[in-house]
Order: sequence, then C-alpha cells, then structure tokens
Amino acid sequence: MDRWYLLVSTLLAAVGGVLGMISVHRGRRSHWTVVWIAAAFLCQLGYLWVRGQMRGACPLIDTGEILSFLAWSLTLFYLIIGPAYRISLLGVFTAPLVVIFQALALLPGVMTRAPQQVANGNPWHETHSAMSVLAYGALALAAVAGVMFLVLDRQLKEHHLKSGLFRNLPPVRELLISLVRLLWLGSALLTIGVAAGFLMPHTASAWAHLTAALAIWASYLVLLLIKQVRGLTGRRLSLAAVILFVTSLAVFAFV
Amino acid sequence: MELLCLGLNHRTAPVEVRERFAVGATKLGEACTDLITLADATEALVISTCNRTEFYLVAENARDAFTRIEARLAEKIQLDSSVAAHFYRKEKLEAARHLCRVVSGLDSMMLGETEIFGQVKQAYATAHQAGATRTVLNKAFQRAFSIGKKVRTETSIQEGSTSVGNVAVDLAEKIFGHLKNSEVMILGAGEMSRITAQSLVSRGAKSIFVANRSFDRAQELATEMGGSAVRFDDWQRVLERVDVVISSTGAPHAIVHRADVEKARRARKYRPLFFIDIAVPRDIDPAVGEIEEVYLYDIDTLEQLAEEARGRRQLQIDQCEIIITNELGKSQLPGT
Repeated sequence: MDRWYLLVSTLLAAVGGVLGMISVHRGRRSHWTVVWIAAAFLCQLGYLWVRGQMRGACPLIDTGEILSFLAWSLTLFYLIIGPAYRISLLGVFTAPLVVIFQALALLPGVMTRAPQQVANGNPWHETHSAMSVLAYGALALAAVAGVMFLVLDRQLKEHHLKSGLFRNLPPVRELLISLVRLLWLGSALLTIGVAAGFLMPHTASAWAHLTAALAIWASYLVLLLIKQVRGLTGRRLSLAAVILFVTSLAVFAFV
Repeated sequence: MELLCLGLNHRTAPVEVRERFAVGATKLGEACTDLITLADATEALVISTCNRTEFYLVAENARDAFTRIEARLAEKIQLDSSVAAHFYRKEKLEAARHLCRVVSGLDSMMLGETEIFGQVKQAYATAHQAGATRTVLNKAFQRAFSIGKKVRTETSIQEGSTSVGNVAVDLAEKIFGHLKNSEVMILGAGEMSRITAQSLVSRGAKSIFVANRSFDRAQELATEMGGSAVRFDDWQRVLERVDVVISSTGAPHAIVHRADVEKARRARKYRPLFFIDIAVPRDIDPAVGEIEEVYLYDIDTLEQLAEEARGRRQLQIDQCEIIITNELGKSQLPGT
C-alpha cells in the first residue's frame, strides 16, 4: 500500500509538471500546477502514514524512505512558498525534482519491502533525521529558485525575452528574496538537525557522516553571512545554492 | 426591426467634442428611455465613457432614427450641423460587430484594455433595469459579452508593450517586481527620459533623482515628477542607492563607464541594477553590461523589442477579428 501511495504521488507530480511545462511553453500561467502538486502531497502523506505505522517511528531508515521524505519536504515548502509569493512557476521547476527523488525511491531494492519495526528508538536520532531531511527540502527548493534565477538572468542579459518561460518567470528581486529566505529556513532546520546528531548516541563510524553534515551546515552559514555582510550577486548566490545542494546530496550518498 | 448604433469615440471626435456628449452614470437609464421615444425605437441603450458615447437602438427605419437623434443632440448641446461628421453610424451586423469590438477592447485607445468590458456591462445593466432593452439588445449584448470573454481567453491581445518607454518599464518590473521599492536616476533631462521616468513613476517607483548638466533644468524636471535634483558631478554617489538608471544626455561620448559602476558595486551590495540607455550616441559603455548584476538595454534593443511586440499584436488583432466574425456567424442575432 505504501508503494502505491508513492507511485500515485509520483504520477500526479509528473502530470502537474508536464502540464505546467506545456502551459508555460504556450506562454500561459500554470495555474493548475499547484493543484496537482497538492494532490501529490496528499498521497505523500498517505505514504508516510502507512510507512510510519510499519516502522512504528518516523520512516527515515532506508535510502528509499529518506528520498521519499525529502520529496515530501520539498513539496511541503513549495506549497508554503509558491502560492505565498505567487511563484506559480516554482511548481513547474519543483515537480521534476520530486519525480526524480520518488522514482529513485521506487526503484527495486532502494526501499525495503517489509520494513522492520524500530525498537528502542532514540528521540535525538529521530530529531536529527527528521530535521535534516526537512532542512534539505527547504535547501532543495532554494536550489530550484536558484536555477530559476539563473535561467531568468541569462535571458535578461542576452535580451532573449520572447519565450513563454520568460513571461512566466517571477521577477529577479522576488526570486532572490525567496531564495535567501529558504536558505535561512533550511540552515535553521539544519542547525537543529546537526545539533541533535551530536547529541544522539552514535558509533565511531557515524563521525564521518556527522563531520560531513557539520561541513555542509558551516558552508551554508558562511554563504548566508557573506550575503548578509558583504553582499553577493544574484548569479553567485544562486550558483552557490545549487552547487551546495548537489554537493551535499552527493556527499551523503557516499558518507 | 434593425439593430443600430450611432456613436463617436476618441478616433472620430476630439475630447472637447466628446465631453459635450458625455452622459453621467446616474442619467444613463433616463437617457435610454428618452432615446426610445425620440428615435421611435423599441429598445435603446447608452454607453458613455471617457473615450466614447454610443447609442444602441432597435428601430424600424435606420435613416429616420439616426437623423432624429443627431438633430436632437445638436439642438441639446447647441452645436451646428458639422457635429454630424464626428458620428459613425452602423446597422445590423455591422452594429453587432462594432459592439463586439468595443467589448473586446479592440476599439479602445489602449488596445485590449479590460475596463471597457465592465463599463459596457454596467451600461447594459442600467438600461435593462430601466426597461429599455428587450429581445434584440438582450441577445446582442449577452452574445457580445461571451465573445469578449472568448477573445480575451484565446488571444493575448492585452499583452506586450509597443512603445520604447513601456518596454523599459515592463523590463524594470521583470527585474524588480513592484516598483514601489525602486529608486530611479535620470541622467540628462531630455524628453525621452522624462516620458520613461513618468511611466516608472506611474507604476509606483519610490523616488526619482534627476542629474543634468544644467542644474536648473534638473530642478525643473525633478519638481515636475516629485523627485530630487542632483548636480551632474554627483551622479556616481547616487548610483550607490538607485535601482534603475535612465540615460539620455546629448553627450557625444559615453558618460557611464565600467569603472564607475565597479566603484559603486560594493556599496550597493551587488544588488541588481537596470540601465536604460536611450541616447544616441550611447551614454553607457557596453562593457557596463558585462558586470554580473547589471542589465543594460540600449535604444536599439528596446526599439527592436517594441517592434516585435507590435508585430505580435497585429497578429493578435487579426485573430480577434476572426473570432468575432466566426462567433457572430454562428449566432444569427435578431436585428442583424
């Protein structure tokens, strides 16, 4: 049942993304994307509920669960940020990422078919996992906003202003404001996640993971401090947000 | 019984004539019933906006009805018979087509504007309440509203700016969103700068700084736009705070160099900066556009964008006309 919820959610996000891209290509606003993504979100909640029952804890044990939780977190922040800032196009850019994460989770062998109940769960461990993945949802959305900025910046610089995509992209300043807010939100959540990581009981092998988490947390913090104190061009800020997110995903895939 | 339309608008009559024929919103209902009596009509409706006054009526004899109304209007507002030259007269299908064009914004001064749709709806509601509309006008207006909606849904008639000033303002909004937090500096107090800056102010720009070699002229323009005058030697200092720079000096060489902008970057915290260079020869060194956070548009680029928009708009107009023709063809409206 859990996989079905995830599969339907993936299909809904894919349909929302594709329809959004078609309407953007035709130069129209993608009003329905948010509805499709909201439907995908409901299915994600169904998945998390069923999977949580199976685990008897927050389902963040195997890679498939982590990817699904990340996709849920990304969707959650999109639903909070997108309509609030009237960035309807954010959904069109977010949907492919949700589809990729969930499709990867659905690959055979990535998510345990019959998960075991978590015995003697530690609250610090659960806080670490949940807050870190939530943080990555916000940071993923910041990366999405960064990509949107880079596309818009290039079009404005090169005077290519005819495409439907250009007409639908939100203004530069609004994109940068949302990007910075998402970075702050993600970093704040990551702070709790990393702190909980050091407080939870861990083996010596977990040190590499915690050190990587600490390095990534510090990188985001340095980026925000530079932006706040010295200032940073939109292009560098966006590139940094994208590179840091991709790097952090790559690091955790191996560490 | 025929559907008729008699009217004048911004194309056929200057404002000093149009204002004489304007009918206040509170008198529209009464005007409709008067029109029925005057033109020996069975139905009547009056539309009166700042750009047009139009009388729609349903009568047996078009020529009689037009003559009576024109004579009555000339008498009422004490104008000679030359006033007739300002009126257009449309009958049957042409009257219905004209109504559809009006409702769709194709006959408006600002092509595709949406306000007219509401104004016509209001005029129709008033005439309907006054008991001045029946089968013919009811069907004609309801059909016109549905065609107007279709035109707006299926075409992008109201999109795209067709003047250099409006293209520049649209770009400023694409960069900064609402302009209420944006500050603008004008270099050179020429006419084009004034027009573009006025467009920015009309869309909410927070403040305007005017720098000109003649400080008196700078003060004059600043006062006109509710901004502040700046000595020409001080424009680099102001650059640290503004978001948009419009340049149109008569200088024979570039005024703004890359080094000038580089100096201000740190103080600006690398915020986006939009340069609009509408001078010939150009005031802004093209190398300024290579700076990461700078968006530089010169007069040729803006003119090219406006030209492309004009081309797209003409295609949209043709598309709208086709929709109107097809929809009216399907309708078989009485009186047409």
